[in-house]
Amino acid sequence: MKSLLNPKGLIGLSLVTLFALMAIVAPIFIPEALSTKINVTARLMPPSFEHFFGTDQLGRELFYRVLLGAHTSLLIAVSAVTISILLGLPIGVLSGYFRGWVDHGLMRLVDTLLSFPAILLALAISAILGPNLQNTVLAIGIAFAPYLARIVRGETLKVSRLPYVEAARSQGASDLRIIRRHILPNIMAPVIVQATISVAFAILAEAGLSFLGLGTQPPTPSWGLMIQASRDYLDVAAWTALVPGIAVALAVLGLNMLGDVLREMLDPTFVSDA
Amino acid sequence: MRYLLNRIALLILTLLLISVVTFVITNILPGNVATMILGTRGSPETLAALEQKLGLNDPLLTQYGRWIWGMVQGDWGTSLRFKEPISQLMGQKMLASGIVVVMSLLIALVLAIPLGIIGAVKQNRWQDTLSSGTALLGISLPDFFWGIVLILLFSRGLGWLPSSGFVSPTEDFWLALKHALLPAIALGLSLMAHLTRMTRSAMLEVISQDFIRVCRAKGLGEGSIIFRHALRNAVAPVVTVAGLQLGYLFGSIIVVESLFNFTGMGWLTYQGLLNRDMPLIQATVFVIAAVFMLSNLIVDLIYTVLDPRIGLE
Repeated sequence: MKSLLNPKGLIGLSLVTLFALMAIVAPIFIPEALSTKINVTARLMPPSFEHFFGTDQLGRELFYRVLLGAHTSLLIAVSAVTISILLGLPIGVLSGYFRGWVDHGLMRLVDTLLSFPAILLALAISAILGPNLQNTVLAIGIAFAPYLARIVRGETLKVSRLPYVEAARSQGASDLRIIRRHILPNIMAPVIVQATISVAFAILAEAGLSFLGLGTQPPTPSWGLMIQASRDYLDVAAWTALVPGIAVALAVLGLNMLGDVLREMLDPTFVSDA
Repeated sequence: MRYLLNRIALLILTLLLISVVTFVITNILPGNVATMILGTRGSPETLAALEQKLGLNDPLLTQYGRWIWGMVQGDWGTSLRFKEPISQLMGQKMLASGIVVVMSLLIALVLAIPLGIIGAVKQNRWQDTLSSGTALLGISLPDFFWGIVLILLFSRGLGWLPSSGFVSPTEDFWLALKHALLPAIALGLSLMAHLTRMTRSAMLEVISQDFIRVCRAKGLGEGSIIFRHALRNAVAPVVTVAGLQLGYLFGSIIVVESLFNFTGMGWLTYQGLLNRDMPLIQATVFVIAAVFMLSNLIVDLIYTVLDPRIGLE
């Protein structure tokens, strides 16, 4: 059994903690006005002591916008993954536990949804519902749910064939009780791993949606939006793209590293693939 | 043969289900095509007349039937944004995206397989750290960010490659490749990262098996062991992952083609989404999902060729 105490685990955990703290603390200490304050005399200033991460095309401080962007990004990603768990977990458990026609029906639906690339599904839902923060969450949540349902189903199938489940059934435990007391606690490990990695993908998805103008809407600070806005100023102000880009990269990198190590910890048969 | 027929039957069923999902998604909102054509200018009477003309008052099931029948016959409707028949719009766009997708697949495979082999053979040494680190970085950066970095580097900085637009290969083959190269790299990098990880773990699993020890005992050279024996056994799962990741690729073309203003399917889909051009959204979303399904079938068939132990049962 590996532990989190190796370089990869520690770097991952530190990055995730850092971004989680940023997401929680930044909105308390930084008034939103600071991040949206337009300063025409300080447009596209390079990073310096005065302007820590530089300024954007409207003279807004990238430092504040990146910090508050962490809030937007993580809020959307975590909420979206929560929705995907709320949708995917019951579907997966029902499918894996009852099998038969329930399984067949639900899995046909899940497989159909899986034949849409997740980002395409999220984009389509967001475009049709109208892009805003809530709909972005909903779109990403729905798009990710079938992946989770698949994993939960597989685990449930495995667990529900174990002797202790048989034993509980022979003692007359109801389906609901077996699912609650025996199945759910024992499928949680892979669900947690998948959730960690899904948050990373959700951050990328949010950035992608916002980059295309179909996610978070201005003036809310969002990393994807910041990269989008930087496109016209690449020649003169590359940092306007690099600063939010690096923020996305570090957050996702941290989650991926943590997810890798968690997977190795929780699944002893797993051959490390990184 | 029986396997193939089964797969094709399943494919048709899934395509039908995909069409239902596409149709449902694009009909969630009460606002319909007629309102979108007329905008806010239309009077209630003209709106009602147009709704009648487009058959929007019919039951949803009838509308769905009409749409799917049209699709089967090659009448994919007219784009509201481009005012052109969608089937005509798509031809050239499919070719453009096809070029980019194939190029990015090639780039990903050419980079990932050597990187993955190095990572496995030199496990836990600096070469492994380098290969795994590259892979992790590739997974963690959004493709559009790679795109921007590539534009800054190769287009604005060095001036080697164009940063936007599409040129048809029938007009100028080399120019067409030049235009497709940066989008293909941006698309291929994250795929490369996933494949590197997969190649490494598949190789690690294979080289710990007994037959490799036998090869060593026979005194075979390391090169022959790795390439002739280990890689052949490790490549099948890599191809499967490549196939699954194609879905991701088909999603990413929307972002990457829009960034590079590369007028392929992804760009067309984006135009549809941006303008809420429902007929165009329905057709492009359906086509992308269908192509993804088809490529999965092809991957499964390739799999049986690569690993003859898996029969077509």
